[in-house]
Amino acid sequence: MEEAKKRSPLMRNSAAQSLLASLLCILIGLLVGYIVLLIINPAGAGKAIATIVKNFLYYPSQTAQLKYLGNTLVKTAPLLLCSLSVLFAYKVGLFNIGAAGQYVVGAGASLYCALALKMPWYLCLLAAILAGALLGALSGVLKAYCNVNEVISCIMLNWISLYLVNTLLTNVKESASPYTMTLISTNSGALIPSMGLGNLFSSNQYVTIAIPLAVIVTLIIWVLLEKTKLGYELKATGFNKDAAQYCGMKEKRNIILTMAIAGALAGMAAALLYQTGFEQWSCTQSAVPAMGFNGIAAAFLGGLNPIGTIFSSYFIQHITSGGAYVDKTMYSSQISDFISALIIYLCGFVLFFKFALNNRLDRRAERENKAAQAAAPKEGGDQ
Amino acid sequence: MGLLLQYTLIFASVLVLVALGGCFSEHSGVINIGLEGIMVMGALGGALMLHFLPAGTSAFMMVLLTVLAAVALGAVYSLLLAVAAVSFKADQTIVGTAMNLLGTAAATVFVKAMNTAADPNNVSSTIQYIAAKKAFLVNLGGFEFNWFMLLAAIALVCSYVLLYKTRFGLRLMACGEHPQAADSVGINVYKMRYAGVLISGVLGGLGGIVYITAGVSEWKFENGVAGFGFLALAVMIFGQWKPTRIALAALLFGLFRALSNVYTGFDFLTALNLPSSVYNMLPYLISLVVLAFTSSKSRAPKAEGIPYDKGQR
Amino acid sequence: MEETYAVEMLNITKRFPGIIANDNITLQLKKGEIHALLGENGAGKSTLMSVLFGLYRPEEGSIRMNGNEVSIKDPNDANALGIGMVHQHFKLVECFTVLDNIIMGVEPCKHGFLQKAEARKKVVELSDKYGLKVDPDARIENISVGMQQRTEILKMLYRENEILIFDEPTAVLTPQEIDELMEIMRGLKAEGKSILFITHKLNEIMSVADRCTVLRKGKYKGTVDVAQTTKEELSRLMVGRDVEFVVHKKELAPGEVVLDVKDVTVASKMHKNNAVKDVSFQVRAGEIVCLAGIEGNGQSEFVYALTGLVKPTAGTFTLRGVDMTRDSIRERSKLGLSHIPEDRHKHGLVLDYSLEQNLVLENYWKQEFQNHGFIRFKAVRDYAERLIEQYDIRSGQGPVTVARSMSGGNQQKAIVAREIDKDPELLVAVQPTRGLDVGAIEYIHRQIVAQRDAGKAVLLVSLELDEVMSLSDRILVMYEGEIVGELNPKTTTTEEMGLYMAGAKRKEAV
Repeated sequence: MEEAKKRSPLMRNSAAQSLLASLLCILIGLLVGYIVLLIINPAGAGKAIATIVKNFLYYPSQTAQLKYLGNTLVKTAPLLLCSLSVLFAYKVGLFNIGAAGQYVVGAGASLYCALALKMPWYLCLLAAILAGALLGALSGVLKAYCNVNEVISCIMLNWISLYLVNTLLTNVKESASPYTMTLISTNSGALIPSMGLGNLFSSNQYVTIAIPLAVIVTLIIWVLLEKTKLGYELKATGFNKDAAQYCGMKEKRNIILTMAIAGALAGMAAALLYQTGFEQWSCTQSAVPAMGFNGIAAAFLGGLNPIGTIFSSYFIQHITSGGAYVDKTMYSSQISDFISALIIYLCGFVLFFKFALNNRLDRRAERENKAAQAAAPKEGGDQ
Repeated sequence: MGLLLQYTLIFASVLVLVALGGCFSEHSGVINIGLEGIMVMGALGGALMLHFLPAGTSAFMMVLLTVLAAVALGAVYSLLLAVAAVSFKADQTIVGTAMNLLGTAAATVFVKAMNTAADPNNVSSTIQYIAAKKAFLVNLGGFEFNWFMLLAAIALVCSYVLLYKTRFGLRLMACGEHPQAADSVGINVYKMRYAGVLISGVLGGLGGIVYITAGVSEWKFENGVAGFGFLALAVMIFGQWKPTRIALAALLFGLFRALSNVYTGFDFLTALNLPSSVYNMLPYLISLVVLAFTSSKSRAPKAEGIPYDKGQR
Repeated sequence: MEETYAVEMLNITKRFPGIIANDNITLQLKKGEIHALLGENGAGKSTLMSVLFGLYRPEEGSIRMNGNEVSIKDPNDANALGIGMVHQHFKLVECFTVLDNIIMGVEPCKHGFLQKAEARKKVVELSDKYGLKVDPDARIENISVGMQQRTEILKMLYRENEILIFDEPTAVLTPQEIDELMEIMRGLKAEGKSILFITHKLNEIMSVADRCTVLRKGKYKGTVDVAQTTKEELSRLMVGRDVEFVVHKKELAPGEVVLDVKDVTVASKMHKNNAVKDVSFQVRAGEIVCLAGIEGNGQSEFVYALTGLVKPTAGTFTLRGVDMTRDSIRERSKLGLSHIPEDRHKHGLVLDYSLEQNLVLENYWKQEFQNHGFIRFKAVRDYAERLIEQYDIRSGQGPVTVARSMSGGNQQKAIVAREIDKDPELLVAVQPTRGLDVGAIEYIHRQIVAQRDAGKAVLLVSLELDEVMSLSDRILVMYEGEIVGELNPKTTTTEEMGLYMAGAKRKEAV
């Protein structure tokens, strides 16, 4: 019984439960992914799933490994911000599926400022943040004043943004390809400075201060949510908007503000990727980039905790990057998308999982209580 | 002009089917954000059938089998939502979103695997059905009548009757409005919600195959269905969860979607010299504006989105 | 000779984690009698009825009908055995018609298609036979509460139920409607139906019931013949001690006007008419003014407008000489308005926040609790601990208890503490004791009277006639959005008040 007492508080700890749930989601996700690979082609399934999990370890040399770890990190930074965007809105009771669209306008603003207006990197970054915030606020206004479900308005805005940005960036694309011009050839001042960080990753030129910047933003969001008056207000609005209104919080303003902050985060995410020069925008793309949607996976997998999302974002990016290495003659790289979508699906069950776990613990505690009472009938009477 | 009508009708058919699907699910009390994913799955089922049926198959069998494949796959896929939302009381928004992403990813993985297996150099996610598609079309003096239009009209009438004239409809709507009341008179809320979601799977799956065969003869599954599931949700809201109004809303949205396919045929539109992306944006833009003006008064089923728990009273 | 009972619940025990809701309870319902089940909130009445209706399985005990043991696993079993129930919160689908609600679950059908004409005929017959006036084609959302209740009764009769359970049926009715209901119950009894009548109102038991079973804190306290008992004895059985029906108050000494309401009109969200029509009155310092009336006659909308949750379409609110009609909720709060809301779960608390977070809900923004936007956690904790101590708020883990896990009475105490500790000029209390047990009710009544005695103005909105009569210094009766009468509790009677509440009487135009 002594042992049980020590054990149950840990299992009852909400953070521990979240961690356990997330690990379970990952495990089941990978398992189902493996089964799908087996069905497609049993011969290479084991190797393929190993490749996805290994990611940069796929390369034999340590230098290459380090370099490709850098690449994964370069893409983790924007993913982290996208997942924060989803998380932040979710804490206030809003589902920001529009992170994808806010990411798109962020990319548009940042690249246009860099390539057409030749602005320095920090101004481009600022432009991306503003563009994202504006789009987010638009969804917020529609929700607050017109009662439009934010999920639907966000989806519509995702597509509208995509077509808008494609049109806008056509002005700064290379003449021979659908891609935008490279920053290094046009305006190297728009590249986010590396400050020597790249040297740590086998001189990976794409590794910049974007990565520590994303971590700092994460900490700021955590402080904002947990330690400040604004966080207290926003979370109250998320839990119970009627009570928030009752005690004089400006519920509508809070919804708009939340969506603006969420949008700003997603917009910034795009700048942190495109201003490293790691990718160019394709002006003919017909689907919204997956980054914003993967942010949903990372946010829930991280147990909706800002610090947790650092790890979950890395994991999601790790397997997404790993997906690129699978044997293309047998499988497609989308198997990683499949696994992360599966993980989001499984995250829907987390509440049920915690509930069931607590129920089990309750029952066990009651049994032990009864046993203890039976053993020492004089002790612990009913109050 | 005939072309515009033809495209309007076919896109409206898609929207009617999928919006009715959403309507059944929501009347039972489950918000179905995952319609987009269901459409992709239905599209995949139908497209595979079209692709693999031997060329000599009669047109009737072709239509029948394709529809069956789409419907079956859509329904099976919708079980993912039903199990999570009804039995496990999961957050319906998360699950729906996951289903949309999962649908596209799964279809892409599958089609690519299939294509590569047939030809190692083919890594695309496209399925072609140029010849087979003709089974659906009847040329009526320049107007290409599509059997799917008839199917959509039938689905519309059936939905109306089912919802308002039958025992099933009465019970279904009771579960979406006041599940405790339904339960207290012996209606199995879980069963009805499963039924609502499954019907949305059937109609969503059918809508999926109609959508990808509407204007083109091949489909790249990486693109999913380009937000059409969400347009259908907008149609459903604009239609106030009522079949007849949904039909009217679908015609309106269908018209704007059709414009992006045929605007080059209108001199005054080409004269405006707008980039094509404007027309691509149009349906989304219109739906956003329409929602902004109609949502504040909309009356969704009262208990939608709230998992039903027998123990809680 | 052994009598056969229509229903016997023998030695029923039902436990929930940490609490025994029903402890060895026996209830025997004779055929053709009206049997009252009396007890306070939380005494275990609802649990017992849920057991009978198949919603809970008891750990011990058995149920017999006409002498034979039966097993009731879910409401379907109960229905099949002829047991029907009018729930306290009506189980009606609001956007359906009366007819649809009545037939739901037992719809007459041909090949799955509804045969409404047939059902309609039967409903009209039943409604004539028992004098239950309803309009079968009206939608529930458009009809009065009384008609909704008659719909619920018709639901049971349509199913030919023999055992009828009424769960607190009079809470939402006017005195006249209550009389009508009693008449209906007598009629049902005359037709041979057996009735279980759950209530905590003694007058109703005396008027209609044959026998009465009393529960207290989950335990069986006895069954008495109503003809051979008194109200006092019943109340002693229910509460376990003599209850003070009188609230002690100081002599009335109204001061200057605190709240001045002028010509206020509020639009309705439910229908096209105004919910509040041209209402004017004043509340002075040191008096309790009560807004009485039946639920849904504009009281809620009036309070929403007064507290800033909705905007009035016309009129002004003046607090201590300051026009606050256009002020935000926060500004009104700063002016000295406190509000104990009608629905503590919807407005009063953030259930997922801890107790301490809820206690600072009204003043977290004050310098005292935040520093440049950062919360002073220590100050919040100290403040919460003081209120918990002072107002005797009990909870599992003190300040960090999640509000959701607290009992209703303590949740309400937390709200009362928060609102009173703001030291308001005007306290608006809306149904402050709804659903609480006698101890908590007494406590909250004392707090409200203490505010009055301290020279504050109090506006009380209540549906409970006893509460209205015992607490208020002046009664304003609202009917269909208008104030139709001003009464003095010392000189009026509940009957007279009832006439005003039902719109049968109104003061002459001045």
